Amino acid sequence: MTAATTPSIDLDRERASLERAWANGRGLLAWLSVTTHQAIGMRYIVTAFLFLLAGGVEALLMRLQLARPDNTLLTADKYNQIFTVHGSTMMFLFAVPMMEGMGVYLVPLMLGTRNVAFPRLNAFGYWMYVIGGLFLYWGLFTNTGPDVGWFAYTPLSGPQFSPGKRVDVWAQMITFTEISAMCVAAELAATILKMRAPGMSLNRIPLFCWGMLVQSFMVLFAMPAVMVASNIFLLTDRTIGTHFSNPAEGGDPLLYQHVFWFFGHPEVYIIFIPALGMVSAIVDTNTRRAIFGYPAMVLSLVATAFIGFGLWVHHMFATGLPQIGEAYFTAASMMIAIASGVQIFCWLATMWTGRIRWTAAMHFVAGFVFIFVLGGLTGVMLAAIPLDLQVHDTFFVVAHFHYVLIGGALFPLFGGFHHWFGKFTGRLIDERLGKLTFWVLFIGFNLTFFPMHILGLRGMTRRIYTYPSEMQWGGANALATAGALVILLGGILFLVNVFTSRRNGEMAGPNPWDSGTLEWATASPPQNFNFLLLPAVTGRYPLWTSFKERIAVTGLRNDRREVLVTTLMDAEPHHRYVLPRSSIWPFVTAVLITIGLIGSVFQFQWYYPGIALATIGFLGWFWPRAQEAEP
Amino acid sequence: MTPPRSIDVADLPPFAVSSEAPLWWGQLFLTFVEATMFAILIAMYFYIRLSMDVWPPPGIQMPPEVLPAIALVLLIASCYGSYRASEAAKRDDRWGMIEGLALNLGLAIPAVVLRAFSWHDWNFKWTSTAYGSVTWGILFLHTLDLGADLAFTLVLLIIVALVRSGPRQRLGVHVDSIVWYFLVAIWIPLYVTVYWGPHLVGAPQ
Repeated sequence: MTAATTPSIDLDRERASLERAWANGRGLLAWLSVTTHQAIGMRYIVTAFLFLLAGGVEALLMRLQLARPDNTLLTADKYNQIFTVHGSTMMFLFAVPMMEGMGVYLVPLMLGTRNVAFPRLNAFGYWMYVIGGLFLYWGLFTNTGPDVGWFAYTPLSGPQFSPGKRVDVWAQMITFTEISAMCVAAELAATILKMRAPGMSLNRIPLFCWGMLVQSFMVLFAMPAVMVASNIFLLTDRTIGTHFSNPAEGGDPLLYQHVFWFFGHPEVYIIFIPALGMVSAIVDTNTRRAIFGYPAMVLSLVATAFIGFGLWVHHMFATGLPQIGEAYFTAASMMIAIASGVQIFCWLATMWTGRIRWTAAMHFVAGFVFIFVLGGLTGVMLAAIPLDLQVHDTFFVVAHFHYVLIGGALFPLFGGFHHWFGKFTGRLIDERLGKLTFWVLFIGFNLTFFPMHILGLRGMTRRIYTYPSEMQWGGANALATAGALVILLGGILFLVNVFTSRRNGEMAGPNPWDSGTLEWATASPPQNFNFLLLPAVTGRYPLWTSFKERIAVTGLRNDRREVLVTTLMDAEPHHRYVLPRSSIWPFVTAVLITIGLIGSVFQFQWYYPGIALATIGFLGWFWPRAQEAEP
Repeated sequence: MTPPRSIDVADLPPFAVSSEAPLWWGQLFLTFVEATMFAILIAMYFYIRLSMDVWPPPGIQMPPEVLPAIALVLLIASCYGSYRASEAAKRDDRWGMIEGLALNLGLAIPAVVLRAFSWHDWNFKWTSTAYGSVTWGILFLHTLDLGADLAFTLVLLIIVALVRSGPRQRLGVHVDSIVWYFLVAIWIPLYVTVYWGPHLVGAPQ
């Protein structure tokens, strides 16, 4: 990679040409045809946020029901549906798509390219996700909401004990969201490996992109398991009479648990690893130094991903598996604390030696460290089989995984919202209100979930819709419900901040925090083509070098959606590559596939017209267009 | 403001029909998904085996030997067609692509037909015990994948032969060969599991 003196370029002409090539058009049809990553990423983020609100309302309903003994706000049946939809929403419709959305929005910017590698696949994945989410809520509002827990264990979820269509709705919602997650994983991994700015060798990739890369590989290897579990196991057992989980015919309900948790445990890291990347991005910007121990950070992410696939049995300690096997999973569960611990120490070292600027985002990072460490400690406790057997299926476990997931994913995510809000909207979010939001959420969170540890130790099992007053669980439950209301207040503060700042906030400019990575090298919000001239880099923090040392890429055609493909390891320029324009076919294909998938919930034979229709969709998608100018 | 120095990429080729193309990687990643799915199915097969005394269960015939073996040979041979098409795509040889894709289809379609034939006189369905469920599960999913890729290959053949054989289509042909190699390669352990499993890990009826 040798750079020469930049020839004189007519930037205005360049811009006008790029604007034409990347224009999304107006009208409903154009809106449905959008394939630019900022638009799709923002749609993911907004949609996932709406599902977070829905899941939050469900959580509040549960907390209100449990606020006092013998409460009758919800019936047992409604309560079952609500906790199942709450868990499924938070895992499948909020957490994973939200992380994917942040990745879809930020990764191409951080890598210095114009879009993801497969823009139409990106749009297709989004539509599948939306349809799957709406399908689940259609179920809930028509009293067909799943009621067997977010992991739908057989035999409870099997045909014998769960007649009706509730479980099928859950199982097929999984199919939609998993297809979506796999689309994003494949496209982000290909983008990160092949479309980086020249000079961005593997050891210069921003840590958030490393996180998304590792997460993408985890999605590729973990999500097939849940599709096997929900689609091959559950749906076929329920609709066409297979016997995968029927012990009378040689099947085994425990096998379902194995397959489900082979997905379910990595799922936690699929949510959590992108959040770690956000923490790194916030910490290096706000300590104004390069992250401490970059190689150790990357290796820990990779190690976490590998070990994450060897933990699933710790969800099944109470099923009577052979002890030697359980001992292995105990050891692995404790080992993963090492990989997480290395990262925590790297961040602490970065903060210790840097000059900390206490922005709202940094507050959320500090909150993350506090809460996540507590969740990690109860995780090490739960890895010990004797303790796990005592508190299995109690509120202790509920407390643990909310500490890990809210602490480990939601706090960094809110930190990320505050950090990148200026990039997303062009205006900065109000810092004082942001810090207030943090404190309200932090206090509300601990008030809600800390008492649950004690409730669990006192024997309160999860998923009970009420309890008698003699159990003496009323006080701690009332406290937890009060905490939930504080969290609600925090949520309202955040929304108020978002809406007022979007309108009246201070203009952000390209790089309000003086960050070092490439997403800050362009306008806020970025235009559809991201960069007027694609950047090349010579270090991990290209914006922390002096302007004299900056390098641009010239010679790409700007009358079509052309990007640069670079080599895998060293990101040497290799060839140019034309990305497709807007297309309605991803949307049409998603709708056509939906006919088969939703139909099959009611009658398996719907798969056949579904396959035929999907073929039509893909034909339209792949058929050569005259408008796609060939090189 | 323009950065003082720059790299000019105008001379780089405007496309690549090779493993440097992002699409090649995307396709590779989707085979990871399929590979994991099939690996889980194989694990399920042997897991279910452990919970049954007799394998296959009483009343269920052993899987046939001759037709599936011939079909396997045909499938492996069909990779040569994919290989020829993919090599032709790299050097922009339209006729080579047409020949290769046609050879691929000509060998693979009979393999699928033979497979369907060999099922014809099986005396069990997916509803006949968990053995039937897992055996049919593997066969159904792999055949669905084969069918989908054959349909895609056919569409590619029609496009290349009648509509256009530009860089996008050539990359499509090249990447299609990856999928096909994968589907044939993964069939070998699946074939061993489904057709030899009852012999290897079976117990007398």
